[in-house]
Amino acid sequence: MSEIHNENTPDVNTPKTPRDNKYWLSLEQWGGDPEFQKLAETEFLSSPIREGAESEGQDGWARREFLKLMGASLAMATAGCIRRPVQKIVPYNKQPEEVTHGVSSFYTSTWSDGVETFGLLVKSREGRPTKVEGNPNHALSKGGLSARAQAHILSLYDPERLQGPKHNLQNKEKTNRDTISAKWEDIDAAAVKQLKKGGVVVLTGNLASPATRAVVSDFCQGFKAQHITWEPLAHDEIREGQRASFGDDVVPYYRFDDAKVIVSVDADFLGTWLAPTTFTKQFADGRRNPKTMSKLVVFDSGYSLTGANADVRVRIKPSQQLDVLMGLAHEIVVKKSFGKYAGNSAVKTALEPYAGASAKLSISKEAWQKLVDDLIHFKGKSLVVAGGLQTRTEWSHEVQVAANFLNAALGNDGATVDAKIPLTSVRASNKEFLGLIEDLNAGKVKTVIIHKTNPAYSAINSGFTAALKKAEMVFYTGDRMDETGKQADYLIPDNHAMEAWGDSESYKDVISLQQPTIRPMYDTRSVQLSLMTWAFMAETGPKRLTTPETFYDYLRNYWKDDVHPKFGKGKAFEDFWEEALQNGAIGVANLEKGSSERNFKVEALSAIKPVKAQGMELVLHPTSMFMDGTLSNVSWLNELPDPVTKVVWDNYASLSIKTAEMMKIAQGDVLEIKVGESTLKVPALIQPGLHDDVVAIAVGYGRTAGGKVTNGVGSNAYELVQYNKTGAVYSGLQATVTKTGLKTKLATTQSHHSMEGRKMVAEATLNEYVKDEAANNHKHKIWSIWSGHQYNGNKWGMAVDLNTCTGCSACMVACQSENNITVVGKKYVLEGREMHWIRIDRYYVGSPEDAHAVFQPVMCQHCDNAPCETVCPVLATVHSSEGLNDMVYNRCVGTRYCSNNCPYKVRRFNWFNYAKLIEKPMHLALNPEVTVRPRGVMEKCTFCTHRIKEARVKSRVENRELKDGDVKVACEQSCPTGAITFGDMNDPTSRVAKIFNEDKRAYALLEEFHAAPSVRYMTKIRNNDKGGETASHGGGHS
Amino acid sequence: MIKRNQLVLGNKSLKQITEDIVAPLERLPSKGWLGMFLSAKALFLFYIITIAIVVSTGMGLLGVNHPVGWGTMIITFVFWIGIGHAGTLISAVLFLFRQKWRTSVARTAEAMTVFAVMTAGLFPLMHTGRPWLDFWLFPYPNQRGPLWVNFRSPLLWDVFAVSTYATVSMVFWYIGLVPDFATIRDRAKNNIRRIVYGALSLGWRGTAKNWSHYEMLYLLLAGLSTPLVLSVHTIVSFDFAVSNLPGWHTTIFPPYFVAGAIFSGFGMVVTLMTLVRIGFPEFKDYVTIDHMEVMNKIIMTTGLMVGYAYGSEFFIAWYSGNAYEKYAFINRAMGPYAWSYWIMISCNVIIPQLFWFKKFRRSIPVMFVVSIFVNIGMWFERFVITVTSLHRDFLPSNWGMYAWSRYDTAILVGSFGMFLTLFLLYLRLFPAISIAEVKPVKNVGYEGGHH
Repeated sequence: MSEIHNENTPDVNTPKTPRDNKYWLSLEQWGGDPEFQKLAETEFLSSPIREGAESEGQDGWARREFLKLMGASLAMATAGCIRRPVQKIVPYNKQPEEVTHGVSSFYTSTWSDGVETFGLLVKSREGRPTKVEGNPNHALSKGGLSARAQAHILSLYDPERLQGPKHNLQNKEKTNRDTISAKWEDIDAAAVKQLKKGGVVVLTGNLASPATRAVVSDFCQGFKAQHITWEPLAHDEIREGQRASFGDDVVPYYRFDDAKVIVSVDADFLGTWLAPTTFTKQFADGRRNPKTMSKLVVFDSGYSLTGANADVRVRIKPSQQLDVLMGLAHEIVVKKSFGKYAGNSAVKTALEPYAGASAKLSISKEAWQKLVDDLIHFKGKSLVVAGGLQTRTEWSHEVQVAANFLNAALGNDGATVDAKIPLTSVRASNKEFLGLIEDLNAGKVKTVIIHKTNPAYSAINSGFTAALKKAEMVFYTGDRMDETGKQADYLIPDNHAMEAWGDSESYKDVISLQQPTIRPMYDTRSVQLSLMTWAFMAETGPKRLTTPETFYDYLRNYWKDDVHPKFGKGKAFEDFWEEALQNGAIGVANLEKGSSERNFKVEALSAIKPVKAQGMELVLHPTSMFMDGTLSNVSWLNELPDPVTKVVWDNYASLSIKTAEMMKIAQGDVLEIKVGESTLKVPALIQPGLHDDVVAIAVGYGRTAGGKVTNGVGSNAYELVQYNKTGAVYSGLQATVTKTGLKTKLATTQSHHSMEGRKMVAEATLNEYVKDEAANNHKHKIWSIWSGHQYNGNKWGMAVDLNTCTGCSACMVACQSENNITVVGKKYVLEGREMHWIRIDRYYVGSPEDAHAVFQPVMCQHCDNAPCETVCPVLATVHSSEGLNDMVYNRCVGTRYCSNNCPYKVRRFNWFNYAKLIEKPMHLALNPEVTVRPRGVMEKCTFCTHRIKEARVKSRVENRELKDGDVKVACEQSCPTGAITFGDMNDPTSRVAKIFNEDKRAYALLEEFHAAPSVRYMTKIRNNDKGGETASHGGGHS
Repeated sequence: MIKRNQLVLGNKSLKQITEDIVAPLERLPSKGWLGMFLSAKALFLFYIITIAIVVSTGMGLLGVNHPVGWGTMIITFVFWIGIGHAGTLISAVLFLFRQKWRTSVARTAEAMTVFAVMTAGLFPLMHTGRPWLDFWLFPYPNQRGPLWVNFRSPLLWDVFAVSTYATVSMVFWYIGLVPDFATIRDRAKNNIRRIVYGALSLGWRGTAKNWSHYEMLYLLLAGLSTPLVLSVHTIVSFDFAVSNLPGWHTTIFPPYFVAGAIFSGFGMVVTLMTLVRIGFPEFKDYVTIDHMEVMNKIIMTTGLMVGYAYGSEFFIAWYSGNAYEKYAFINRAMGPYAWSYWIMISCNVIIPQLFWFKKFRRSIPVMFVVSIFVNIGMWFERFVITVTSLHRDFLPSNWGMYAWSRYDTAILVGSFGMFLTLFLLYLRLFPAISIAEVKPVKNVGYEGGHH
């Protein structure tokens, strides 16, 4: 940042015309500004080709100068938060109209990992984005945001980002000899020369942006290039399965909210599968009212987050996936003769081998039969999903067909499965990718442009890296010299998503706009502009590619031609564009149901052959923090505990308790996993509830050139992937597990997994709940000799619905981002020094072999009788008049007595001077509204007290009382399921007050302790047909 | 009437007594002393460096973590504070009860108290996150509001208790030394010695008036110190007992802590006295086997009291019906830190039972070994209380282990360096037995003795 600051200081007194800064606002303010139209026209006069090369940014947009200034002055202003040498600050000579110091602006934007799209509200302070929040206007994410979507802001400020284009000088073996800085014009010249030779391939990850897809397609048209999409989480088995079953090459849309019975075979739709945040929201909507809640049955070969949320979870191994699906189909279609395929003899023949398949599964006869009955009972309102890397087996295609058949037979197709809203962003294909390797090896490909995919890492076993050396020239748009970057001749870093214009469309017709919220920090150039520049220089390609001077123009043209006619509803384009920018997303109406049932092709079913089980089976799976490993250099995600295992900073081979005992493996023993010719060394984790024949390993770890944070974290499980003619096989492979004799330590944020019979998470079955809404919610008679505090104004409280909380951990990252919470690293997590203010406790219940999981977010409970307050010798933690337990950092001397006396142990101590370790420009991501804590002070959840203040100021300005919903705390804001409610308990109409006073499920954690917390939890209800017999698990009372 | 054993052996003359006691001050140090002093000094320097590193880098170097917020420093603090109690008990309580045998061990026991409290007093100051702001723990007029301290916090009571104790025991010790300083001054052969001890003796002339004032002041201070024997460790125990943690929140803590403190204090006195007897053989006539036996009896008695407290804690944990409390105690005896619990039980309850036998009570090697075990056991008692209660409390999700690091070891071992350095200096510079008090009891046990 200092660099940016320095080069701009002279400009401070002569700011460039502020004509276009309005672009950066929510646009509410300039709605009626007549000047704007004129300005907008003159805004993009500069050509990246003619002028841009001279200015240091290729997109030489004048308005960015203004943001530079803001960024610079703010950086200095915030530097004052920590003890640093005094630096000169330069005030605004002329304050920009829209910027008020100390007041955040929110800009709508969007972010996509290539598959799922999130609507964002980017919180910006004086020109630098500090946090991303969910945009409630987005039809799918609806304000919810995954942990990764929130953490991606850190990748903007990653100090290891490339700061300009680079040229790799390769030696004869095509290994990197040296890297030198390059100039854009030289690269452009070299590129155009090379591209003209033909044999061009554009290799990208899934592109969520329709305009970018159009650019790539235009570019390919111009240069006769081939566009290949590949990434490890390709989901192409779904498309293949759909094609075989229905003839549609689509990934359909699923309606988990409409489904009353959901059967998932390894599809981790709450954690990693397709659009988990969207699905999580839907899933929670289907369960918000326990009386009408859906039922989730998961057949899980790893221990996925979805499995952890299942009402009935059945552990399987990959070779049983077909047994489950075909077994169910046999029961429903053959035995019960249900549905329109009942009499079909081909179906009957195909299903016959699976009669009695349930006997192989560890599910009771009654439960299986109940599931069959439920599915039939809720025909058209049930949903069967299968997918994910766990099903990316040799029989992945068959699994999809079987799932499709079940949905077709149950009448779900067209109802809960909607092929009319396909997931358009998913185009990745393993087959095409392997074809590319072949072409490269055959010398057919001369130039490769790689964008948004990192095959040298994620396809390490495919021979891609060796094949790539056969290409004459390789361009890579990644933001760092990563695994693939090292193989490229030219590194042409793309702008970060927060620095660039764009759009995003995952599910068809739900489109959102991406606004830049900061000037490109370095000499980077958007990939679209690179392609456009090359086409312009080579004078090839369609006119819409070569005419616009920036991608912004292209984008607007694209929207004018392709989007506006569809959604414009007769509005003028400018109005439409403005509205789209304001709302951030369009296309809500198109999510309405309009699909019809498709015809299932029975011959696809007939092609299914039974699978042979083969000893120990490999399961590779992504994690919700890392997914394919793209964002693995983000420290927040490294220290975000896996929702189920609670391990941080590592991946591991999960083994069942029995298998570990049999092989005498202890947690942390380094194992060698051998699959075919590939081996991998990885530590063991003993996982309750895992199938005995399964060894499960997460992908996305083991980066070798991902950056300082991630290098050496875990091992690269992609090394075990086997490639054959038809594609990549990730799971279901026979694996040999041997002990190496080495030991390592796995860092976990929770080392004890049983509730020890204490009622931390109250849990009841649906049957119990229907009988008694307060089932398993034991109340204590509590009396006190003291009268208690008086709260005359507001009294803040929070309610957490354990029934909708899925444990996704988005709140943890939201809190971390909001409150400048530090990351401590594996060593210190091992020593118990993680700093999260909100944590998600996960307990296993039931028998260890078949453990179910429950989740409980725990943050400071802001007790009325706070035990921490009485013991602090210096009054550094005190009670506020609004029921908050305030922490006065300045007064704290750090006796840690408060933490010892806290029954919830939610306080965190600054063992070292963490703030000092924040590397530039990471400090730009700090929230200026929250103090950066020095060494030796205690910290904890504040109930986002600064947000309360902000809301109060706002209400005062508007001359009104605070009303329910004005204050949205960070965890509540990001929660995709709305499980967290915050509000004023003194207002009897507020949502929290209603829960506190009326909800029979509400209970206080450790109520009998009478700390009188301001947080209530609501009983988790499990829809598992059990009941009557009380306290099946977790209902124990102390 | 049973004939009393002699308190001072060898039928010494008054002059002999003086010469015996001041001998270590008036001769060049022995090689043994020098060796021990240099080792202790090296350890002390190592301790200072360790503290400097910890204070400049952060508490994170030690094993304290989440959930175990207190560790080695607090454990060792309570350990040293406990050690101190024997000195005050011997010098003040036994003085008030007119126990004549106390005279020859009182001085050294009290020195031990002072040094132990000095060693202990550093810990609460060092263990804070921001030691440079420790003065905020004291209620002094200030311009920050003014910000006042929280009088409800046991930690604050602790600040008062320990600082009061340190002050009173130091003054008491010093007043007792005044007549002896005058003796050394009078015997001094060089000027420096005369001036230094002259200043220390506060112009003592040995007049009747001097003695009268002295006796009165000594009695008053003894009276003032006596309640401190009970109060200091009671208040230290409040740090634990007033909190809410299962395993800490126990009404038995005050008497249990006091008994434990006296137990450990006498353990340390016996350890040091056996060493003093070896280092300065002339003291064997003053610190006799009889003295040692009496102290061993006290060790056994207090050991039984402590054992009773251990049992009582378990009974109450069961009887209370409080599941958290019950678990905390089961966890102590059977959990991951069971080893520390059983070290504590063996050292504090089982091993002192040896003293039922007179032979062992009067055997120097046996009592030395037992006293060392008592010291170890009492350190582990504080470890058990602090760590095992914290590491598994209410929410099982929080459960964790103490992350013992080499800095913990350094701090624990180094504190002995500080204590021993001070103690060895004391042996060379101050008369280790009260000359003025021993002389009046020299006739006890002799024919014709007037008692």
